Amino acid sequence: MNALEVENISKSFGDFYAVKNLSFFIPHGIIYGLLGPNGAGKTTAIRMVMNIIVPDEGNIKVLGRKIDEKMKEKIGYLPEDRGLYPKMKVGELLLFMAELKGLKREEAKKRIDFWLEKLSLQDWKGKKVEELSRGMQQKIQFIVTVIHKPDFIILDEPFSGLDPVNTKLLKDIMLEMKTDGCTIIFSTHRMEQVEMICDNICLINKGKMVLEGNLDEIKNQYGKNTIVLGYEGEADFIRDFKEIDRIDDYGKYMEIRVKEQTDAQDLLDKLVGKIRINRFEVKEPTLNAIFIEKVQEKNAKDSISN
Amino acid sequence: MRKILSVIKREYLQIVRTKGFIIGTILGPVLMASFIIIPIVVSLVSVEKQEYISVIDLSQNIFVDLEKKLDAKLKDGSPRYVLEQYKLRGDVEELRQRLNERVLNKELSAYIFIPENISNGGEAEYVSEHVSDFDKIENVHKAINSVIIERRLKVGGLDPEKIGKYMKPVGLKTIKVSKRGEEEDTGGTFIVSYVLVIILYATLFYYGSIILRGVIEEKSSRVIEVILSSLRPFQLMAGKILGIAAVGFTQYVIWGLFGITAVTYSGALISGLFPTAGSFKIPSIPIYIFIYFVIFFILGYFLYGTLYAAVGSMVNSEKEAQQFLFPVSMFLVIPMLLMVYILRSPDSTLSVVLSLIPFFSPILMLLRICVLLPPFIEIGGSILLLIMNTLLMIWLAAKIYRIGILMYGKRPNFKEIVKWVRYK
Repeated sequence: MNALEVENISKSFGDFYAVKNLSFFIPHGIIYGLLGPNGAGKTTAIRMVMNIIVPDEGNIKVLGRKIDEKMKEKIGYLPEDRGLYPKMKVGELLLFMAELKGLKREEAKKRIDFWLEKLSLQDWKGKKVEELSRGMQQKIQFIVTVIHKPDFIILDEPFSGLDPVNTKLLKDIMLEMKTDGCTIIFSTHRMEQVEMICDNICLINKGKMVLEGNLDEIKNQYGKNTIVLGYEGEADFIRDFKEIDRIDDYGKYMEIRVKEQTDAQDLLDKLVGKIRINRFEVKEPTLNAIFIEKVQEKNAKDSISN
Repeated sequence: MRKILSVIKREYLQIVRTKGFIIGTILGPVLMASFIIIPIVVSLVSVEKQEYISVIDLSQNIFVDLEKKLDAKLKDGSPRYVLEQYKLRGDVEELRQRLNERVLNKELSAYIFIPENISNGGEAEYVSEHVSDFDKIENVHKAINSVIIERRLKVGGLDPEKIGKYMKPVGLKTIKVSKRGEEEDTGGTFIVSYVLVIILYATLFYYGSIILRGVIEEKSSRVIEVILSSLRPFQLMAGKILGIAAVGFTQYVIWGLFGITAVTYSGALISGLFPTAGSFKIPSIPIYIFIYFVIFFILGYFLYGTLYAAVGSMVNSEKEAQQFLFPVSMFLVIPMLLMVYILRSPDSTLSVVLSLIPFFSPILMLLRICVLLPPFIEIGGSILLLIMNTLLMIWLAAKIYRIGILMYGKRPNFKEIVKWVRYK
C-alpha cells in the first residue's frame, strides 16, 4: 500500500492553473522530495493533499483512503508559511495544537516535555512565542508537526532559518522517524539537502510534473557525463571546446557537462599546463544541474508552444 | 466536537486574560455609574460665588426692577448677583471701553448694556469674558425679559400680576398603560430603552471587532494553515465565534451583578450621601424585556459575529478591514439613526416593517418591545426571520472564510468574493 496516492489532480484559480494533471505515488516509509521552482504549485498540491483546499479534479488517497478529519490526526504538516500564535505561551500553544490533533491532555503534556527537552527548549516553556528567536520558533513549529506521532508528515522548507547545528538535529530526527516507518514529504529547493536525505523525488514546474522517480535511478539515467573541475587561473577558454555541452561555473570549481562519447581523458589532456587543476572528477550530474536543466528546458518548450 | 471545544477554550482564555478585557469589564459599569453620579455630585458640591455686574441703562428706568428680579441667593444667604448702575456721562463708546477693561481685570464678571429703545424692539447686550455659562446668561435674559414685559403691560393698562396668573402653564403627567395597568412614567421607559439598546449596540460592535481581530491575527501570523491541518475552516470559525460568545456571557454576568447591586443600593446610597438630592427612583423594568434582550443579543451576536469573521478572512490587516466593515457597520448604525422615529411612533407601519428586517431587528424590535409590547406574531416573526437570515449568513460567511483565510496579498474585489462563494 502506498502512503500517498495522487491521481490526476488539477486546481485552477480563475484562469490560472496552479496544478494540472498531477499524479504521483509515495511508497510507505520513504522520504520523498517534492521539488520545483518558486510558484511551481508545490504549496497548492500540498494543501490539496491536506484537504485544506479541494481539487477541481482528481483523487487523493492518504494512507489508503480519502482524507477526512479523523485522518488528519495521523498527519503532521509544517507549512512553508509558518506561524504560531505570538501571544501564547509555548507550553499552552503546544498543548492546544496537540489537542487539535486528538491527543489527551496528560499524554500531550508528557510529550511536550519530551520534545522541548530533546530540542533544548525546556527553559522557554513559560515564555510567550513572540519572545523566541526565529530559529526557536521554527523548532516549536517542528514539535507541533510531530507531537502526535504521525504516520505521514509533510515538511515544507523545514530548514529555512536554521543554523547548521539545528539543521542537523532536525535532519537526524527525520531519519529516525523514517526508520520508525513514518513517510515524509520534504518540499524544498535546496538540492544538496534533497540529495542527502531523499529516496524518491518529484520535480514539478508550472503546475505539471517534469520528473519523478527514485533519485539514484534518475541520476543513473543521466550517466557519468559530468566533470567536476576544481581549478585556479583563467579557465574561460574551456567554453570554446567543441565537446562541451554546458558549464556551470562556481568560481573555485565548475561543473562541465560533456557531449556523448566524449572521453574525459582527452579533455584533461587539453587542460594540463593551462590552468592549475586541484580536482578532476567524473560523475553523475548533481540534482542541482538536473533541476536547472529541466526547468529551463520546460520553460523554453512552453515559450515555443505559446 | 472535542476540537471545537479546544478552540473555544483557547479563544476564551486568551481574551479573558487580557488587560483590555479586565479593564473593560470593570470600567464599563464604573463609567455608566459615573455618568449618573458625577453630574449629581458636581451640582451638589460646586461652589457658587458672588458676581459683580454693571448695568448701563440708557432707558433710564429699569435698573431697580432688574435688581429685584435677579435676586438669586447663595447658600449663605447673600445675593448671588451684585448689580451696580453706571450713570452715563459723556461718550458711550468710551464708557464701554472702560468697562471692557474692568471685565478683563476681573473686577466685573460681566456688564449689561440696555439701549434706549429696549421696550420697542431694542436688544440688550451681555458682555463678559466668557459667554459659555448658559445658566447665568439665561437668568439675566429672563430677568430683563420679564421686567420689560411687565413694563409693556403696565403701559397698556394691564395688571402684570393678573396676567401672570392667567398665563400660568398647565402640567401634563404621562401615564403608560399596559396589561399591568396604569403607571406613571417620568421618562423611565425612554431611559431603559435607550440604555438597553446602547448596550446591545455597543457590545455587538465590541465582540464583532474582537472576532475580526482574532481572524486577522490568525491570518497575519500565518498560524492558520497549521490549524487547518487539524480542523475544517468551519470548525475554527465556529469555535472562535462561540469562544467569544462565552467571553461576552462572562462580561454580561459581571455587569449584571454590578447592575443588580447598583439598583439595590444606589438609591439609598445617593440619598444617604446627599440628602438634598431627593428620593432617587429607578424605574422598574418588566422581566420579559430582559428575556427578549438576551434572545436578540444572542441572535444579533451570531449574525454580526459571522459577518465580522468573514470580513476578517478577506483582508490582510485591520486597516484594510475598514472598507469592508463599512456595510456591516451601516447595518448597525442605521437602526440607531431610526431610534428616535421608532420611539415616536412605535406602531406605525414603517416601524413594524423596519423592525422585521433581520439586520435591524435585534435593535429595532427590542426597542419596540421596550416602548410598547408589539403583538407576539410580530416578535415571533422577526425572530424567525432573524434566525433564517443568520443561518444564511453563516453559510455564506463559511464559504468566504474558508477561501479568504488562505488568500494573501491583494485585497479581493466583490467579483472575486462572489467567485469564492462558488468554489467547490
